[in-house]
Amino acid sequence: MTLKQPQLTRRNMLRGMGVSLALPWMESLSSASSLTRLSSQPDAPPLRMGFVFVPNGVHLQDWTPKTEGFGFELPYILEPLQAVKDDLLVLSGLTHDKGRANGDGAGDHARSASVFLTGAQPRKTAGSNIRSGISVDQAAAQAVGRATKFASIELGCERGRGAGNCDSGYSCAYSSNIAWAGESTPVGKETNPRAVFERLFGGDSPAQVEKGYARRQAMKKSVLDFITEDTRRLQKQLGGNDQQKLEEYLNGVREIERRLESNDKIAASNGEFEYNGPDGEPKDYREHLRLMADMMVLAFQSDTTRIATYMFANAGSNRNYRNIEVPDGHHDLSHHGGNAEKLAKIRKINRFHVEQLAYLLGRLKSIREGESTLLDNSMIVYGSGLSDGNRHNNENLPVLMAGSGRGSITTGRHLRFPEETPMCNLFMSMLDRMGAPVDFIGDSTGKLHGLEV
Amino acid sequence: MRTMTACLTVFISASFVSANDVPAPITEHGFKKQAVPMFEMYCADCHQGDAAEGGFDLDQYAEGSQIQTEFETWEKVLRVVTERQMPPKDADQPSEVELQELRAILQAELATFDCEANARPGRVTLRRLNRAEYNNTVRDLLGVDYRPADEFPSDDVGNGFDNIGDVLVIPPLLMEKYLAAAEQIVERTFANEELKQKILVHKAEGEGEELLEAVRKNIDGFASRAFRRPATDEELTRLLALMVNAYQQGAEPEEAFKLGMQAVLASPHFIFRVELDPTEEDADGIRELNGYEIASRLSYFLWSSMPDEELFSLAKSGELTHPTTIQDQVRRMLADPKSKALTENFAGQWLQLRNLTQISPNPEQFPSFNADLRAAMRMETELFFESILHENRSILDFLTADFSHVNETLAKHYGLEGIKGNEFRRVSLNTDRRGVLTQASILLITSNPTRTSPVKRGKWILDNILGEPPPPPPEGVEDLVEAEQALGSLRERMEEHRENESCAVCHRKMDTLGFGLENFDVIGSWRNTDGKFAIDASGTLPGAISFKTPVELMELLAERKSQEFSRCLTEKMLTYALGRGLESYDRCAVNVILAELQEKGYRFRGLIEAIAISEPFLKREGKGKP
Repeated sequence: MTLKQPQLTRRNMLRGMGVSLALPWMESLSSASSLTRLSSQPDAPPLRMGFVFVPNGVHLQDWTPKTEGFGFELPYILEPLQAVKDDLLVLSGLTHDKGRANGDGAGDHARSASVFLTGAQPRKTAGSNIRSGISVDQAAAQAVGRATKFASIELGCERGRGAGNCDSGYSCAYSSNIAWAGESTPVGKETNPRAVFERLFGGDSPAQVEKGYARRQAMKKSVLDFITEDTRRLQKQLGGNDQQKLEEYLNGVREIERRLESNDKIAASNGEFEYNGPDGEPKDYREHLRLMADMMVLAFQSDTTRIATYMFANAGSNRNYRNIEVPDGHHDLSHHGGNAEKLAKIRKINRFHVEQLAYLLGRLKSIREGESTLLDNSMIVYGSGLSDGNRHNNENLPVLMAGSGRGSITTGRHLRFPEETPMCNLFMSMLDRMGAPVDFIGDSTGKLHGLEV
Repeated sequence: MRTMTACLTVFISASFVSANDVPAPITEHGFKKQAVPMFEMYCADCHQGDAAEGGFDLDQYAEGSQIQTEFETWEKVLRVVTERQMPPKDADQPSEVELQELRAILQAELATFDCEANARPGRVTLRRLNRAEYNNTVRDLLGVDYRPADEFPSDDVGNGFDNIGDVLVIPPLLMEKYLAAAEQIVERTFANEELKQKILVHKAEGEGEELLEAVRKNIDGFASRAFRRPATDEELTRLLALMVNAYQQGAEPEEAFKLGMQAVLASPHFIFRVELDPTEEDADGIRELNGYEIASRLSYFLWSSMPDEELFSLAKSGELTHPTTIQDQVRRMLADPKSKALTENFAGQWLQLRNLTQISPNPEQFPSFNADLRAAMRMETELFFESILHENRSILDFLTADFSHVNETLAKHYGLEGIKGNEFRRVSLNTDRRGVLTQASILLITSNPTRTSPVKRGKWILDNILGEPPPPPPEGVEDLVEAEQALGSLRERMEEHRENESCAVCHRKMDTLGFGLENFDVIGSWRNTDGKFAIDASGTLPGAISFKTPVELMELLAERKSQEFSRCLTEKMLTYALGRGLESYDRCAVNVILAELQEKGYRFRGLIEAIAISEPFLKREGKGKP
């Protein structure tokens, strides 16, 4: 481990990166044809999928464009997206019905995160038998994630809460995770950009690869075999929920085995990596958000993964936004009761978040992949599992999608879907494009029509 | 459902409505014949059918209370009814006589809960070590100064704690970290000659068989501590094969041994706390834990770490299954510095001190707040907890102790004079504060960044002190909670809660408790006014008990609510000790613990010892138990 790196600012590090990052697919081979819709050419840049979650809903009046179709004007909250406006879809009218109480009472915040990518009604429990459903990113990761070193990455800027209840009888697991590998397995997120970096790129150096590489790989493999055998024996002795835990453990082992097998080519592609990576978790929230965005961009750019989720903050987050002169807690404010002063602050927070999204999208757009950009080859969904933080409603959610999905999506528009259109229908359409079609996910009723003209 | 309602209506008019001056004697079928009609009359409007309020659907209880599974429900019904929180004020009220009758019936019903018939120790789901436990275990296993779990993803919290088996999942990211940590831990251990020699105890003079024998003994010594029970022959054989194989492929002997250690540290037997299920030979599908399992239960409860040599040796001899030995060990373990873990992990979560780091009051309003003050707040409450633990004080001191621990920073904050320097020392409090609820840490974590929240404070007390967590607000009213700022003092604004009966049911109590602490601002400083409004900290709790100041409120809680508090603390600590949420049947164990606690004069150690010899702590049921 090389934790004692010289201090590097984000700017420096990015400058360093642009020149030294070895691209996994050959720039020279790609051509205009890579923009062809859902190109099957092996040399075309791959399609990526990202999801960004923001808590507590938004002030919808300043979010929703007044007109539909092309040529809409960006409302106050979305203004920071001017530079990528033509790469955007504003999606109005999508609903997460399973974020509603449906008989489970309060706990909208916890539900808003757990439902965000799953579309599944979380089981109301403080501890035993947590249940949600598989999330769209994990559905994609399990189907096509084998193509890359990491099937998916999970990022965030707030650790899970260390104590207490998170929301009205829901385990904190529901509030602090949006990715679910299965109905009872939330996929924890990494909040330290340094740790993300080490994980993504901290593989063996070329020198290490040379020296006894094969033997070391074999030894690693033998450890995995040993613990797999341990687990199999235990599985015969234990029952009930214990089996579930052992299965989670085994899944982790298999994932690592797979990575070990594909490690040769990974090690090779990491060879030219000169950048030292970020220093830990920055104190400044904006900096933290941007560093994490950088990690997502890097992971996509290097094709270390094609699937990422990113929680700007946990559901119901009550953090303050003093950096933009909003000293109040976000959750506290979101119960604005129509108060104009509070609404003004909410708007500011919403816009601040969108500014960070604009940063992420700008970075993706700045990276060329043949004739296209990384943003062109992505589908980035941004939104909240609640519509209005005051009303706690789950219809007409604030949702954006950026990137044309390798030309399969006609961006630059504001689309309004019929009331109660499941958000999961969007996921169906995205999974198709990822080459990971499913019969349904969450409460989907079909695919979303009209993403392309 | 309709049919039943109709029948009951007839039934009521026939036999019940003619209530006279004395409560009717309770008959054998008191619940069905006397209580059900009363529910039908006063409660069914809201509590019946699919849309029953609060999920309390009387249709389920038409034939009986189902006390063996629904104990908690009826305990709650008894509480809200006798405190006249229910029915709501705007609904028809039972007469005082009816109320007494209902109370007697429900108490009789609760008393029928059969602990013998349903003796169930429960089943803890296979628990992986959480971050604190992992770090501590590595420290005690190898003596290496390294905290690998600081890099692990956060452990999710369930039932208020981060050691709950069901909630501790293993995402692939964590598995990766385990393997990387295993490698690092071994490297760091072997980099230190002294630590390395503690592992490589057995030396071989020659090679071949003799060398193998030494290797086998060394890995046995290590694995048997890492697995917290003797390694089996089968395990040792496989470990040896792993090491021999590496050696044959060209690894140096030391490298091969390190690989064996890595395999041990990545094994599910290290990562998880394995307890085997009962077999067919165990009566009633319940088995008594063996000495090694008890050793781990004790050590992870009190130290958040692995057992030490003494525990292992008592496990081996079988003595650790005796209650007296266990109690002796509890005393010994609490005296060990490792019991600091109980403060960090139990108190840190019960009192939610861990959330302190996430709260930043608005610096413009609270310029005196800084990192030092935040750290001092936490330290105060930790030292306070430890003084009650180590001096074996009454747990009621949590509510009414007239002492605390401060350094200069905190003394200034509290307006105490003559305290200089960074060192904490015990002080007597002035008349403003008593007990933990008036400590700045708790007051801060129950506030918003810009203002106090009596609702949060009241709810916190109900959740963590009285064990009466209020139900979540009904759907669609959240925006009323803590309404407009411009309409008057916070207290006047909050009156809205009480005007609306569906809110008042819970808020009457919650807000009253919270307003009792209004003399303390966001960061826990004393104040007499909030903006232009004078603070009124007086209040009246259900049962017509009134208080005027925060200190009076604390005394009142200690006096009138000692049972509730003892039960609450017992349940929290038992949850933490077991690593699972409590079930209805656990109340039997809780009652036994409470009786012992009471017998020992509410001494804190009495509580811990009673938990350590309780049935759920020492036994385990199989998956087949209904």
